[in-house]
Amino acid sequence: MDLDVAVDPPFDSRWLDDLANVCSMLARTNPHLVDLYLERKLELRAVSSGGSQWVEECWTEGAATRWRFPSRTAMTARSGVSTQDVSYVLGATGERVVLPTSRPVPPADIDPPRGWRKWACELAGRPSNGRTVVRFLSRQGVVVGPRRWAIVESPPLLMVEIERITQTALLGVWDHPNLNRWLRELVAPPPARPWHPDSGLSVPVLFTAGTAGVLMHELVGHPVESDLVLSGDSPMVALEEAMVTAATIHITDDPSRGDLPGAFSHDDEGLQAEPQTVVSGGRLVGWLCDQDGGERLGGPAGRGRRASWNGPPASRMSNLVVTAGDTPRESIESGIDRGLVVTRLGGATLDPVSNRLVLRVERGWEIHAGRRRRPLGTIELTGGALEVLAHLDPTVGSDPTPDWRLGWCVKNGVPLPTGSESPSLLAHRLEVL
Amino acid sequence: MDALPSRQERLRIAATAARDLLANVTTDRWEVFVKTSLTRHVEVAANRPPKVTEVDEFGTAARTYRGDRTGFGAASGAAPDAARRAVEGALGSEVVSDFDPLPPQRLLGTAAAATVRPPTPDGWAAHVSGELAVALLGLSEGTIELRRSILQEGVFSWLLTTSEGFVANHHGITTSLLTEVQIRHRQAGVWREWFHIHDPDTFTAETVAARIVNRTLLTQNRIATDSGLRDLILDPEVTAQLLASLAPLFLATPPDRDPLPELLNPDGQLASPVLTLVDDRSDPTAPITGPCDGEGLPARRTLLLDRGVPRHRLASYRDAIVCGETPRGGALRLSYRDYPATGLANLLVDNASGLPPARLLESADRALYLLRPLAPIMLDLAGDGYRIVASGVWLRGDEVRGWHPVVELQGSLSRLLRRIEAVGTDLAWFQTDHGCVGAPSLLVRRQPVVG
Repeated sequence: MDLDVAVDPPFDSRWLDDLANVCSMLARTNPHLVDLYLERKLELRAVSSGGSQWVEECWTEGAATRWRFPSRTAMTARSGVSTQDVSYVLGATGERVVLPTSRPVPPADIDPPRGWRKWACELAGRPSNGRTVVRFLSRQGVVVGPRRWAIVESPPLLMVEIERITQTALLGVWDHPNLNRWLRELVAPPPARPWHPDSGLSVPVLFTAGTAGVLMHELVGHPVESDLVLSGDSPMVALEEAMVTAATIHITDDPSRGDLPGAFSHDDEGLQAEPQTVVSGGRLVGWLCDQDGGERLGGPAGRGRRASWNGPPASRMSNLVVTAGDTPRESIESGIDRGLVVTRLGGATLDPVSNRLVLRVERGWEIHAGRRRRPLGTIELTGGALEVLAHLDPTVGSDPTPDWRLGWCVKNGVPLPTGSESPSLLAHRLEVL
Repeated sequence: MDALPSRQERLRIAATAARDLLANVTTDRWEVFVKTSLTRHVEVAANRPPKVTEVDEFGTAARTYRGDRTGFGAASGAAPDAARRAVEGALGSEVVSDFDPLPPQRLLGTAAAATVRPPTPDGWAAHVSGELAVALLGLSEGTIELRRSILQEGVFSWLLTTSEGFVANHHGITTSLLTEVQIRHRQAGVWREWFHIHDPDTFTAETVAARIVNRTLLTQNRIATDSGLRDLILDPEVTAQLLASLAPLFLATPPDRDPLPELLNPDGQLASPVLTLVDDRSDPTAPITGPCDGEGLPARRTLLLDRGVPRHRLASYRDAIVCGETPRGGALRLSYRDYPATGLANLLVDNASGLPPARLLESADRALYLLRPLAPIMLDLAGDGYRIVASGVWLRGDEVRGWHPVVELQGSLSRLLRRIEAVGTDLAWFQTDHGCVGAPSLLVRRQPVVG
């Protein structure tokens, strides 16, 4: 499913033309203007807690300008997208801004899906031990620069959070054909008699059911984001063009995959969404850059993403896609004498001090003589990030699967929807915590 | 920055617009919340121009109760259109409710709140960053350098009004500092620390630098591992995360799903008698202040754990009804976008009888000092279990034996809480997923360390 980029603009297109002209005039006297960003968001929440239920509807709109002076960079943002709000942010540096006197045609409301409330209330109202929140998230943005504007179109999302003993969640594109199956998996009870392997056990771990995408999100996705590369925080700083993993591994960041939550038509700096290869044949071939990162690293930009109108864009991945191989998952599994299979991850972090990866496994199996034996309890796996990546098995599964569990990615406290798709991958050098 | 009267006037205009719209429908009861804020982030990094972000936000929220139906809507923007959207959102989202979730007028009121200080002057962020960089290099003998600091300051005002004519408003200011440091000449090794600044006039870069240096330098020791039953010293950050993960025990819970009774000993103790916890919304030095909670109940100090024994639980009015709790003003509303929800505002450890950190170290034998958590602390409240994955330092008396980059602890939660032997005097505020937590170091006896 690809994003349809020929969509109606979320604001009056003639007004956007006028704003682009205003930016053009402003840029002649003040060349430090980078862009103007406008956004509208609708968030619907159906909440069930303690046997009572309610629905919340939240509309947010905002405008922001960015400026780059020799002595500082600045962003000024204001809630609202009225002419006054836009004048305020464009005039933030003291320039006199004259907007066209014609009022823009009011944009059409973002429509929630038909029947959403009934469906969401039924879902939220299913028995659980705690609070359940079902969210519908829809966002439309426009980046306006001198003489041009670009629509930022992204797919509406569904997010479901269920508090049980621990919180578990789902993030997917609204109307994804697999949504009902994922919801069933989300609410499925944990195994009755789980097995907890001994701490320190180090055996091959087969990541299935899309969980290898989460592994790659941490091992490759974040470390190739340009802000981490430029700050020296990424363990991959000095590894460009180096072999970092098995030669059979190919990884692309693809914002044009409209079926995954990190999709967009243009990034939040107005650049057309283009897939970008980051690992080719096991070799690190590119960074994921926002405009600033692109200028400083000499790579293509297009990954400047905002969490909202009130935050500046930063380099963030979109949908990390690992190219499928030709080995059936069952065949990889049957070749493991003693190991673990992971079918669902509940959390993943990379510690910036030690560069160690910590993965929380929610579901999985023990493998013995190629067969699944006991179901796993919740465990943590850990390993050195570069070491785990370098020792990935060259066998790549033929089962590309999207992850639905961990797309809501928080970096530096800023949450963003991301997606991943990966076939089954076999990892070594991980040990049970 | 707009003058305060101008912002107050905008609040009043928006609240009036929403009230007039609600008055035109036959709404039995309603509540309108309007908030404006101006936040400024100044990021100062070595060899880069500063980044300045200013955000001016204004929003309106409405909650309604008509007959047996209730709804909630929120919208941003100061224009009357936002008030209309919020009201239409509330009316359009109404669903059947067994009860009226809006607190009755008799419970509403306000307490005295902190007076507003002026914002920090322009250039203060760069000044602080410069002083901190010098202090870090000095205290660490040239080992630790400041990579980045972000000064975050927010000036905000809000107004809450109800169909019965109750009105509460508040003006406040919050300031905090986020720092990022690294050990020189070492690949990777970024430490981030967050500091709540109650009074910029008494802020000293040396104090902040000392807190950073004391922890960061410990990771320079050679790597060492150990396991078995060991004494623990929890750094205030680890204490804060542990207490935050205990939050469900201090919030209203339906009796049929309440894990607390199973965690109590026959004397009703949840934790050792050295642990007393409060949610203090009346402390003017705490991060979250105001005259009332998110629904208009007067701000107060709620005793949650009294020398190890659970006393009261926080609840929004809705949750108080559902869970059979007494409403004590336990609702939080951090933004106009949020439905007022049960939550911790400022969870505070009473450390009046605490020991200085040096005394805690002396008291421990062959101890593991937990520096910081590496993953969210996992509790199994129903199964009385905990699991901490952290970075730590092994001690023998006051001698450092080595750094343990990833260490795991798991065992009985109730035993962990009842083996807390002392709290420290080094209380600091932390932001957590469950609100702000004011936490000191903790000394815990004999806990299973997996390795």
